[in-house]
Amino acid sequence: MQIELKNVKPKYMSEAEVKASDIYLQLRVVFEKGKKYLIKANSGHGKTSILNFIYGNNLNFEGEIKYDTSFEGKKVFDYRKRNISYVFQDFKLFPELTLFENIQLKNKLTNFKTEKEIEELIKRVQLLEKKDQLVKNFSLGQRQRIAIIRALCQSFDFLLLDEPFSHLDSENIEILTKIIDEELENRNASLIMTSLGEVSFFKYNCVLNL
Amino acid sequence: MLLKLQKKTLIKSQIIGYAFTLFVGISILLLISQLYFDLKPLLNQESDVFKNQSAIISKRISLLKTLNKDKIYFTEEEILDLKNQDFIEDVSKFKNADFKVQAFTSDSGGFPMFRTDLFFESIPDKYLDVDSEEWKWEESEDFIPIIIPENYLNLYNFGFAESQGLPVLSKNTISNVEFNLQISNRFKSKNYKSKIVGFSNKINSILVPDAFLTWANKEFGNSSKKERTSRVFIEFNKPSDEGVLKFFNENNYTIGKDKLEFSKLLFFFKTALFFVFAVAIIIIILSIAFIFLSLNLIIQKNKEMILNLFSIGYDYKQIAKFYQLTISLTTTISLFLAAVTTFFIRGLYLDKISSLLDFDKQGNILFSFMFIILVILLLIYNWMILKKIRRVCEKGR
Repeated sequence: MQIELKNVKPKYMSEAEVKASDIYLQLRVVFEKGKKYLIKANSGHGKTSILNFIYGNNLNFEGEIKYDTSFEGKKVFDYRKRNISYVFQDFKLFPELTLFENIQLKNKLTNFKTEKEIEELIKRVQLLEKKDQLVKNFSLGQRQRIAIIRALCQSFDFLLLDEPFSHLDSENIEILTKIIDEELENRNASLIMTSLGEVSFFKYNCVLNL
Repeated sequence: MLLKLQKKTLIKSQIIGYAFTLFVGISILLLISQLYFDLKPLLNQESDVFKNQSAIISKRISLLKTLNKDKIYFTEEEILDLKNQDFIEDVSKFKNADFKVQAFTSDSGGFPMFRTDLFFESIPDKYLDVDSEEWKWEESEDFIPIIIPENYLNLYNFGFAESQGLPVLSKNTISNVEFNLQISNRFKSKNYKSKIVGFSNKINSILVPDAFLTWANKEFGNSSKKERTSRVFIEFNKPSDEGVLKFFNENNYTIGKDKLEFSKLLFFFKTALFFVFAVAIIIIILSIAFIFLSLNLIIQKNKEMILNLFSIGYDYKQIAKFYQLTISLTTTISLFLAAVTTFFIRGLYLDKISSLLDFDKQGNILFSFMFIILVILLLIYNWMILKKIRRVCEKGR
């Protein structure tokens, strides 16, 4: 799978605002399978927007986005289940459910990982003892870790990470980058990650300014 | 997991409130429909040969009129005036026999010998509810069917037969008795066979087929005599109209008021049924509107949850499924309970009615009717819920 962007620009931003961008209003930007991309920009430059455009969660843009050949309602949805996974900046967790239930809510949909594999991942991010506690009592950092594990519970060709480590300490970042690297390698998948500035968590094939 | 999440979004009191009002509304609706269905044959039963909603009117006979007989006849203008009343559907005149009629039995009948003078009248056949096979006459036929007032039979059975030591007769026996009729004028006479084919409560006259009387008046009547009408037969479209009695009083017409009673009762009964039916429909509509509002509230309140589910890969059909199932199940239980309840209530009133009246049990329409309503409601609900969830998902993009 590949993702292709042609002349994309958020409707709510002027041309002047996106003048320096490597992505917005570019004739053709292609994200290929198996590569790691970093999209960096200052706050308010539309980092979350570009990932939402790609994920099909926000259609408020001009230009054209294509998964392989098309980008239609039902198709986007199928891709969402099998080809694209997304760690949202606001996590989109369900506070009334426990940590484990939050992950299972996704895994039940895909049946991608066994219960044991999930527990193994929870253990690696040091949250196993909180497995059956309600997410509404968790800190942002803890929630971030759960959101990342949840995103790994499906097949994907692209993993979208929206400032994924913003609330984590360096020890946890190290653990998570390792996990993500392994999962990417297993699937031969791509990574598209946004961040405020140049960061070196992964070995990026391409760094783009937004 | 999804179930656990969505279960928390339901507002139980609202679901129960909906189930209860729907139960009440549907119970009333089913009961009224079944009651109407059960009683319909009873209401349409006609003991009389005359169609319902009809009556006979004449002018009140006063002392003055006994002296001047012309006053008891209706003029053309008066008949036209009757026709113009909006509660009257149609007016027809009685035709009088303008010749002498005698009835007598021949010795062979085994029936007491009698010979008596009679009179005949006729009204258009369409107002009579007798078998058209029996109620016809052609010039070639020497049989004339007649209809007599039921009172005549009572008078004979309870008065005459009693005092003279004669046998009493049932409607059936008397219908089988054949007797002779002789019609005549000053110059000629003719004999016919006759039988009583029907009895009437409404009309105090001896009726023969219109075709016969028309023919006989021409043949035996005094052609120079003007046709006069002392009684008219009217058909109502609104017998319960307040203006009816007022109109007749003002014009000094007499009408058998009790003859209108049954029509009036029927009308009141139907109106009451209709009123309760309308109330049931309103209750049902309100309960449906209530559950729509409640669902809207739930969806609006949990918009974020729905959008999040949509974002992590659940499609709107999966999200809608829980709400569809909940409402479908609640509705089904409600309707089923309503059908069972009305089934028992029907048992009670059937017992009561059949102990009071002679009546044929009708089929049970409760469950089939309930099933039809259920299918319609479920289709509407499932479609609406899917549409609402879908709109939330799509608007969020």
